[in-house]
Amino acid sequence: MDINLFIVQFFNALFFASILFLISSGLSLIYGIMKILNLAHGALYMLGAYVTFTVAILWLGMSWYSMLLAYLASILVVAGLGIFIERVLLKPLYNKPQDLQLLLTFALIFILDDIVKMIWGAQYRAFPKIPGWSIPVGDYQIPIYFILTVFIAIGVGLFLHWFFTRTTYGKMVRAISYSLETSSILGINTDRLFALSFALGAGLAGLAGGVAVPLYTASPGMGGDAIVLSFAVIVIGGMGSILGAFVGSLIVGFSRVFMAILFPVFEIALIYVIMAVILMFRPTGLFGMEMRERR
Amino acid sequence: MKILRDNELYSLVVLLMFLAVIPQFLSTYNVRLLSVGLLYGLAAVGFNILYGYTGLISFGHAMFWSAGAYGLAIGLVKLNLDPVLSILLAFTLTFIIAVVTGYLSLKHTEIYFAMLTLAFAQLIYALIIKLRDITGGDEGIYGIPRFPPDIEQYYYLVYMIVALLVLLAWWIVRTPLGLGFQAVRDNPYRAEALGMDVRRVRLISFVLSAFYLSVAGILYAPLNRAITPDIAFWTFSAIIVIMTIIGGSKNMFGAFIGGLIFIYINTQAMNLTEFWQLTLGIILALLVYLAPYGVVGIFDRVVEYVRGRR
Repeated sequence: MDINLFIVQFFNALFFASILFLISSGLSLIYGIMKILNLAHGALYMLGAYVTFTVAILWLGMSWYSMLLAYLASILVVAGLGIFIERVLLKPLYNKPQDLQLLLTFALIFILDDIVKMIWGAQYRAFPKIPGWSIPVGDYQIPIYFILTVFIAIGVGLFLHWFFTRTTYGKMVRAISYSLETSSILGINTDRLFALSFALGAGLAGLAGGVAVPLYTASPGMGGDAIVLSFAVIVIGGMGSILGAFVGSLIVGFSRVFMAILFPVFEIALIYVIMAVILMFRPTGLFGMEMRERR
Repeated sequence: MKILRDNELYSLVVLLMFLAVIPQFLSTYNVRLLSVGLLYGLAAVGFNILYGYTGLISFGHAMFWSAGAYGLAIGLVKLNLDPVLSILLAFTLTFIIAVVTGYLSLKHTEIYFAMLTLAFAQLIYALIIKLRDITGGDEGIYGIPRFPPDIEQYYYLVYMIVALLVLLAWWIVRTPLGLGFQAVRDNPYRAEALGMDVRRVRLISFVLSAFYLSVAGILYAPLNRAITPDIAFWTFSAIIVIMTIIGGSKNMFGAFIGGLIFIYINTQAMNLTEFWQLTLGIILALLVYLAPYGVVGIFDRVVEYVRGRR
């Protein structure tokens, strides 16, 4: 392979992995703490993409400043929706069979897909161009936006690490994920922390959508692919582990991008082969803990 | 006789009699939809062997529906085989996939099992998309011949097979094998201590359940005349789970009616409004709160209420 193409694809894979990390860290976080498999996580990602598109393109016109505002808007809107979903829709289901949570989050996919269609129409919404300039590499271009995205993903990773190891809230959230019962006996307000965790996870999905939309066009149903790849990521890395989501994203991102060039037949297939092999031999993933049923 | 006091069997027979008569009063379009409903019901019943009766949640059952549908379509359209050989091809394909994925997935239970089945199903999906020469890729396979071509006659063919298999499922879960499934579901450790090979029982349940899905897929391909990779995507696996839950996984009647209800709601939502997904989603969400044990749960409550009054 031409070395320039290799470099471009390397950054391409890094970009894809960064997006995956932003989506799947939220998914993993929600699963790790609340033991809820949020099937609507992809739909939240889609919503984030539309919000950023609206703010940055339709309202403000593209600039770095408006991109930043658009990201903030995406995070706030989707996190707000997350709080609504957790407080109003999921809370009554905590003492019911777990299948019902699954059914509810699946119903949310249908609902959110159509709400997006109502507001933005069914057509695809694409950025006119990728924000920022590009670095030429031979005949190819690497958008500076790719590199910024990688920094955003790393920044978020470090923030989450700091949050979970250094802040009181973060420590309480981790305590909950070990044992809900003991934590509430010790006086932790588990109710409020559930809302916080879900909002944080949803906000990350919103940010992921915002960051992805300049490259990956916003369309209803774009969440369907994203969510299943995120499942692969968190299973490979280990459910509930941020480091796992990081490494898992890199594995999935790179295997997809490079397989697409080398052996297109296995572009997507390889990801699921890795996922299955990991599950069979190390079900807790590369960095995961033993999973427990919630009590 | 005990069998005469089985509410579930009564409900099934009444429902099946209703389904035998109703096409006489429906348009061709609706008979077609009802055929799809029967197949969804059959799929839910098959899924429920594994889910409701063996206690394992698979997130990849779309792969067996697809194995049936694609096996038949490839045989009929791509290889020009006669129908019997095509059906045989579909079954062989299903059997191989079911035994291999079942054997490997059943290393685990619960969420890990669900994720493994999801991984295998997505692997099959990825292969269907990429192996264009065999599967038609994104576009799928068109021009699948239907026999008998008349939609009402085809409905009765579907009906007979579905009725037979649904009643068979009702019977199977009452045989020693079916009781074995339930023993494994309720307490795998005790079942093991009693000398059962738990993993083998689960595998039998898995393959049996895959067979049901495959039959549904085999009947679906000619009904629709065309198949696309959508039927292998994870959302379809999720729909199989969802319709079983909305009907009620407690028994086979619940699962069967779940499939029919899902198609009914879906169709009504599509006819009513452009935003059918929103309508469907809201109805599904409402069912979560109003009927947490599925539609059979409501039936049970009504029956209890009536008996309580007497």
